[in-house]
Amino acid sequence: MDDNVKVQDREATLEELREADDNLRLPAVPEHVSYPIETATPEARTQTPAVGQRAARPDGRLHGLGQTKYIDDLSFPGMLHAKIKRAGISKARIKSIDLSEAEKMPGVMATLVGGEIPVNSFGPSFQDQPLICEDMVYHAGDAVAAVAATTEQLALDALEKIKVEYEPLEPVYDPIEAMKEDAPQVHEGSSNIYSSKVIKKGDVDEAFKTAYRIYENTFSTQMVEHVPMEPHASIAEWDGNGRITLHSSLGRITLGRADIARVLELPINRIRIIATVVGGNFGGKNEITTEPILALLSKKTGRPVKGVYTREDEFMSSTTRHPFIMDYKTGVDKDGKIVARKVRLVCDGGAYCSWTETTLGKASILSAGPYNIDNLEVEAYAVYTNKTMTGAMRGFGAPQVCFAYESHMDDIAHDLGIDPLEIRRRNAFHEGSSSPTGQMLHSVVVQDSLDMAAERFGWEDRKYEA
Amino acid sequence: MDVTVTVNGETKTASVPPETTLLKMLREELNLTGAKLGCDVGDCGACTVIVDGIAINACLMLAGQAEGKTIQTIEGMASLDSYHPLQRNFEELGALQCGFCGPGMILSAKQLLDDNPDPSKEEIQDALSGNLCRCTGYTKIVEAVADAAREMRGDKQAA
Amino acid sequence: MKPFDFVKPDNTEAAVAALAAHSPNVRILAGGTDYVVELKHVSQSPGTIVDVSSLAEMKGIEETDDGLRIGAGVTHTEIMNDPLIAKHVPAMIHAAHTIGAVQTRNLGTLGGNLITCVPSMDSGPTLVALEAEVTILGAKGTRRIPLTELFVGPRKTSLEADELLLEVIIPKKNLGKPTDFLKFGLRKGQALALVNAASSLWIDGGKFKDVRISLGAVAPVVIRCPEAEAMLEGQAVSEELINQAAAKAVTECKPIDDFRASKEYRNDLIEVLTRRTLQACVTQASQA
Repeated sequence: MDDNVKVQDREATLEELREADDNLRLPAVPEHVSYPIETATPEARTQTPAVGQRAARPDGRLHGLGQTKYIDDLSFPGMLHAKIKRAGISKARIKSIDLSEAEKMPGVMATLVGGEIPVNSFGPSFQDQPLICEDMVYHAGDAVAAVAATTEQLALDALEKIKVEYEPLEPVYDPIEAMKEDAPQVHEGSSNIYSSKVIKKGDVDEAFKTAYRIYENTFSTQMVEHVPMEPHASIAEWDGNGRITLHSSLGRITLGRADIARVLELPINRIRIIATVVGGNFGGKNEITTEPILALLSKKTGRPVKGVYTREDEFMSSTTRHPFIMDYKTGVDKDGKIVARKVRLVCDGGAYCSWTETTLGKASILSAGPYNIDNLEVEAYAVYTNKTMTGAMRGFGAPQVCFAYESHMDDIAHDLGIDPLEIRRRNAFHEGSSSPTGQMLHSVVVQDSLDMAAERFGWEDRKYEA
Repeated sequence: MDVTVTVNGETKTASVPPETTLLKMLREELNLTGAKLGCDVGDCGACTVIVDGIAINACLMLAGQAEGKTIQTIEGMASLDSYHPLQRNFEELGALQCGFCGPGMILSAKQLLDDNPDPSKEEIQDALSGNLCRCTGYTKIVEAVADAAREMRGDKQAA
Repeated sequence: MKPFDFVKPDNTEAAVAALAAHSPNVRILAGGTDYVVELKHVSQSPGTIVDVSSLAEMKGIEETDDGLRIGAGVTHTEIMNDPLIAKHVPAMIHAAHTIGAVQTRNLGTLGGNLITCVPSMDSGPTLVALEAEVTILGAKGTRRIPLTELFVGPRKTSLEADELLLEVIIPKKNLGKPTDFLKFGLRKGQALALVNAASSLWIDGGKFKDVRISLGAVAPVVIRCPEAEAMLEGQAVSEELINQAAAKAVTECKPIDDFRASKEYRNDLIEVLTRRTLQACVTQASQA
């Protein structure tokens, strides 16, 4: 070291060194961005109050740019694709499942059957739904086996090679038929009527005796599928600490974690669910579908596994809206005031309970309609049938009964020659009214709403043919 | 087989088996996940892209049929300086909710406005009849397209 | 989809040669709006797909000595926008508009619609009512047959394994003939026809002349109603007679019961659509 070298010289040399260094260093290649990046944060102190402000959806910009990532848009290194084999038969005993041909196919990395699932049942109320059927099939959309392969097409091809032998059993499709004593049992060892609710208020039998007229009718609604634009999708991946991460279109994460913990016999803190933007839920993505299956396939293969429902799966194997068969008997006085109402609801509960219990409860309470009825009896039944399971869908039992009690009201008005709006004014809830279950209602604005709506719609000016 | 296309102004080549749809090629080979898989049979329109100026269902076109063609996807609508008026009006009006139908809707609307700068409400509805939406009921989408059309004709101040 | 080989010939001769070379495991692909959907659901590979979607020879709409020539590869959108179609056979514009939605009309071809040969095909009735002919190219050369001879049954045509539909020709005598098409589906867009109907006729000296009535979705193939036609032929134009002919047409059809509609409802539609298309032709003829 030469102590006599001037610092000046050293600094210059350092500059040159830095320049040389920079020249040698390759510039970082920025990621290509094809859209302007702006942050849309409002100015400070203008963020509240919210009432009266124009609210822009925070995801609107990303949607328009096509930048929103749904589950199927995500991809991980080494990711496999899983597909599920569907039963295609409504009620059968599974005699045998032969996976040997499928497992031999190049690109097929793992298969799964029901017996490999630690606890093969789940459900929000009753845990009556298997992830993959083991010995019995309860509806045509049931899963009987699953496959993970390197491409989607290979997984589908493998499904074709899986041989399942069925012993067909007698299915029942009609809920009224299923209620009968001698109907085939959907789930062995339990009545097809798996839930019932009763609401009693006053004394309907006595009250009917005092009625001016009694009207009876039966209303029924159909099964409806949510058809979210985005099919159900999930990706499962494990880390070295035995923790499973699931990217999922699932709507209820905590419930999902609890269900998966139970099914896989894992502590709940080992389960991480990342629910990204969902492409439409409407109630259909409120419970787990294939997440535990993908988790087990991922565990077997040591690779991330993605499973996406086909549109056929969406119709056959995802929950639907309950068809209802509703018997209404209503007694009225000569002014059209309801003196008694008796309702029987039969809810087509599909192959599994899912959210039926909750739906049935809600439907029962709402089946009387928003009307003052002192004497009310509601009997509601949820019945198993060998069809796609019925679960949560926007309204949760309310739309079905609304169709029934409002059509019924129109029929009564028509027969009595009373204006349909007027008959509702005479019966509708007001402040302090008692609900079907005895709750005293406050902040009741039914009458005001009817009046306002009538004015805005021009009810008085309409052409009405009696 | 090798398929070469011009996507959003850039030439790209992908090596795909013949049984690959254009949709799959865009999403999996070219990482353009804006076009969505909703039904895979050409009914829902979530996979709509513009090929040689014409809106089509990418799930119905084989990759080989797209050879040499010019494709525009949702990712090519905005420029570095600004959003396309359709994207801006969709955002301002809150025309999309879950957003899944969005890319397809916007591209169908784009083809409409490119061919017909002053469409009536019925013409907008007809142009979007191949794009299904389960969230919104379509009202705001149609309004947003009409607003965008006005803006593009210069009848409205850009936001 | 199952794996297949993909061939893109440069011209129609090469396409036919490819068909012959790879027969019988070979299929033509144009727009794919029906066939690609089928490919996604079959469990056997088709073998070789011959793509004709870019062939210029199958495109184009022009007037020839024979009449109006429409290439089999012309899309429904192209038909809707063509000035010659608007001038000579405007009923085809409405018919094309009822097919699917914008995206499917942009891809789907006239030839594809005819070859797929479903009973409810929307391009069929108008062309049958106009006595259209088709040119077919095969290994042995071209042949020309009436369109009706192409249809054998649902999804079954009279094409040989190595034959390609080249073009549709509307005879010169029928250009400008009053024609009307109506379709009834459960939706305004993306709906299959429950029944579709087309009528064409001239009025000569106050009398019906060359009446042609064609109906789809009421039999295994698109049909004519010769008895209803005969009822009108040469007779004085009257609403009463049109009503009778419409009722007659119902007896010549064999619609089925299915989940979309009952037989009875279809019969009702046959009567209504036949009557309305005939009336529309009369109105067109009087305005000519």
